[in-house]
Amino acid sequence: MQVDRIDLLILDALQEDLPLVPRPFEMIADRIGITSADLLRHIEHLQEMGILRGITPVLESRSLGLHAGTLVALHVPDEKADWTIEIINSYPEISHNYRREHHYSLWFTISAPTHERISRILGEIQEKAGLPDEDILNLPTIRSYKIDVRFDCRMEDADGSD
Amino acid sequence: MDQTDRRLIIELERGIPLTDEPFAEIGLRLGITEDEVILRIRRLREEGIIRKIRARINQRQIGIMANALVAWKPPEGWSGHEELASKPGVSHCYLREPVPGRWEYMIYTVHHKRSRNEVYEEVRSIADEIGVTDYIVLFSTEELKRLPAVRIDDSTEDLR
Repeated sequence: MQVDRIDLLILDALQEDLPLVPRPFEMIADRIGITSADLLRHIEHLQEMGILRGITPVLESRSLGLHAGTLVALHVPDEKADWTIEIINSYPEISHNYRREHHYSLWFTISAPTHERISRILGEIQEKAGLPDEDILNLPTIRSYKIDVRFDCRMEDADGSD
Repeated sequence: MDQTDRRLIIELERGIPLTDEPFAEIGLRLGITEDEVILRIRRLREEGIIRKIRARINQRQIGIMANALVAWKPPEGWSGHEELASKPGVSHCYLREPVPGRWEYMIYTVHHKRSRNEVYEEVRSIADEIGVTDYIVLFSTEELKRLPAVRIDDSTEDLR
């Protein structure tokens, strides 16, 4: 992996809210102790390597009308998995889909304006994939206590003590 | 939110331009000034529509290979939700409806570490602290889809 210490410092800094000033990268570069040209070069490199997916806004779901959410788990036999994944991923309302080590092997989240819309999507997936009721867990969100994704970008050789 | 706000958010979702004056660049694309871009973003943040502007990272590429969803079943009358959510290793914490008789877990947290052992250790120590012994650790083995959960669709400009 061609990631150096500066890259990790940058990844760490960019997980903070971007400063709302005319030259935000200069501000971040100053903090790290490099030039803004260097910073931008590193960022481009990190993007090319697929480590950085972009610097983008985190939007609040409720203020944009997405009032309903759920987590769904499916038990899917191997021979049906690819087809089922294709169906699931085709919905823009489904943002995250992971394979997990469990009897229920596919776990995905749906967010939509209403619970009715979610039920309809889930019904369609069940029908297209041909899944029996007992192979589906629908776990609607009652309340979100925390959403704060932040990865610890310290060097791998760090000793891990916090 | 007016039409300019929506166009601004769509621009931001494409990613902050990697240039010295990214807000001026966005302004150029939208036909507004840099000042207006910054003021509008500030307002959207105050209104809680934008929570944050930050890097999205593919954590597996920097060695954070153990990504787990943990489902918890707290005892009757338990009220440690806020305490659990506040743990530094917890990136998400949700309360969800159970499926009675089939799946009784109601609280879900997400953890990211370099190794499974680190996740197990963290979860075990959290479990001790919050007094919940019934939980299951679900490691992800493959990321099949991952997009920002909330976004304004680029092609249709429809809210999804």
